Amino acid sequence: MTQFLAEGRELVAGAARDLAVLSRRPSDEAALDGCFRAIHTLKGSTGLFDLAPMGLMLHAAEDLLAAIRAGRPGSPADFAALLEAVDQVDGWLDVLERDGSLPADAAQAARDAVARFGGVAIAPPSPAAEPGGWRTPPEFAALVGTAIRYVPRADAYFSGDDPIAIVAAVPALTALRILPREAWGPLESYDPFACNLVIEAVSAAARPAVQAALRLVADQVEFADLVPAEPGAAARRTLRVDAARVDRLAGLADDLVVAKSALAELAAEAEKLVGGHILGQSLRARQAQIDRLVGDLHATVGQVRLVPLAPLFGRFPRLARDIARALGKSVALEIEGGEVEVDKSVVDGLFDPLLHVLRNAVDHGVEAPAARLAAGKPEEGVIRLTARPDADRVIIEVTDDGAGIDPARIRVLAVERGLLPRDVANALEDAAAVDLIFTPGFSTAAAVSEVSGRGVGMDVVRAAAAALGGRVEVDAAPGRGTAVRFVLPVTTLLTKVMIVACGPDRYGLALDSVVETTRVTPDRIRQVRAGRAFLLRDQPVPLVALGALVGADAPPARAAERVVVARVGGELVGFAVDAILDRMDAVVRPMTGLLAGAPGLMGTTLLADGAVLMILDPGELLP
Amino acid sequence: MSVMQEGSVIRLEGPCRVEDAETVVALLQRMPGSTVDLTRCRGLHAAVVQAILAFAPPLTGSPAEPFLRDLLIPSLAGERQPLPPKI
Repeated sequence: MTQFLAEGRELVAGAARDLAVLSRRPSDEAALDGCFRAIHTLKGSTGLFDLAPMGLMLHAAEDLLAAIRAGRPGSPADFAALLEAVDQVDGWLDVLERDGSLPADAAQAARDAVARFGGVAIAPPSPAAEPGGWRTPPEFAALVGTAIRYVPRADAYFSGDDPIAIVAAVPALTALRILPREAWGPLESYDPFACNLVIEAVSAAARPAVQAALRLVADQVEFADLVPAEPGAAARRTLRVDAARVDRLAGLADDLVVAKSALAELAAEAEKLVGGHILGQSLRARQAQIDRLVGDLHATVGQVRLVPLAPLFGRFPRLARDIARALGKSVALEIEGGEVEVDKSVVDGLFDPLLHVLRNAVDHGVEAPAARLAAGKPEEGVIRLTARPDADRVIIEVTDDGAGIDPARIRVLAVERGLLPRDVANALEDAAAVDLIFTPGFSTAAAVSEVSGRGVGMDVVRAAAAALGGRVEVDAAPGRGTAVRFVLPVTTLLTKVMIVACGPDRYGLALDSVVETTRVTPDRIRQVRAGRAFLLRDQPVPLVALGALVGADAPPARAAERVVVARVGGELVGFAVDAILDRMDAVVRPMTGLLAGAPGLMGTTLLADGAVLMILDPGELLP
Repeated sequence: MSVMQEGSVIRLEGPCRVEDAETVVALLQRMPGSTVDLTRCRGLHAAVVQAILAFAPPLTGSPAEPFLRDLLIPSLAGERQPLPPKI
């Protein structure tokens, strides 16, 4: 069922995309074929589960599409009815996921949808007995070339024909199906010399070459050209794997990264042994090799987890239409960058925040039709959902051409809701004021509407982006529309960590914030009010003891302090530690459960000796 | 002679022609449940293919001839009993 839901969503999204094309260009054959195939496959899947209303509706939709394919011109009303049916299926898939069955009114809804298709008779499916309109079987859908359907005459064997040999002579065969033309009947009276076969095949060769090979039986053969569903789709072989297995694989690759770090230590110890120099050297060479392989493995597993955004994005057009309809607005959702790939966990975590932003865009962004006309804009609002890669990050943006956000209004509301004192609010720059929408407890809707007022604020969106290791920002100006931008990591990366000692404990510091390490003699340290500072190349840098921040006992006074200089919020800060032990590549796992909210903790990683190392975020530790 | 019977195995060898269909059908009618061994088969006439399709005996052996091995036999096996997806 899970697989059906996942595939169903893809098929629905594909069909909706093709229908959107068809509503603009009714004669687009590729879109028509694509849509037909999607509906056909969906219908086939409904048979596996108890989804009779969905099957009935899809069957009628398939018949309508078949009629259009056969030459009956498709009207805009046809495509609108089809789109409505596809939206209905999408809605049902959501219900199925939640409740495990279709809603009670599904049968009625299906009958209504079938009625909307109007005029297209619903015939029972009869794939074998269709002399005029041969549908290429779904097995051939992924292939490219010329499809052949050869129905030899019943007396073919008597007239000396061998239909199999005839088909075998067709160049470049890639698929073959052999079926009985009619049911076999009782096998006791089987007639070995009455030909009762239908041979379907696909050749990768061009149609003229195929026709030439079959010229002697041309009256018994039908052809169809198979076109690739999407460019490149046929060449790309995919495999559906349970996400949990990939996660397990990723976890193992992570642990391997940790385990291999022990080898370096081992090599160093071996070198120290008497006569162990050569052994140590060769251990080191092997260690370098394993290092590289493990790095490759880790990167490759990371790529396995990369999935395109298209299936996620594909769910939004229907939702946007639903939301717009509920609000009496007209909105077109334009989607770009569905092919951009990001880590599966990012895709999984994006649905709710994106839906929230989209809902806001339709509800608060796009104005009511009358207001839009008054402002000289087209009645239909345009919302764009785009994704683009940016180095090791991906930028996902939701922009609308609506009223934008008025910073003055945000300031007033923030003060009214007690988030800020008036003087602080007034002192804020416009961009900072607009950013207030991410503050918990803030909601800009003057009247909480049915659509947006669900107790979820933009603060949840920001928290979700942070949980994915990214951030979200908003860019808006009155009248010009709003852009909400998610900047997210494409994949989980190895973090370089510096290991330091504080009292009896070891801690990790993310190396990207570390600027340098230094020794500071007591004469360079100055008391500045309650704290201490030292001069680093004539620049005063505040000095704090890391031990004091993490609650370790104060170390005895020393001749010189070991200091890690890190950049925290743009300023240099020196952290005094007992010792700097090592550097390593680590997979930092975010804190979960009770510790998730612990301030100053970025996550944990495993050390080669099996100990858990806590990775600190120096910025958060500072008071 | 390209149709041979050994116990419950029917061996098809060399090119099987239209007239072999009658023999194959007779054997399959007489001994339902026989296995058809295609290891040394070099060609199957449509009439023989049709008999295999109708009586659906278990097939064994992988002939050397590429068309038989890669297209024809999988299509005969696939029609009756879809194989579980390979993981």
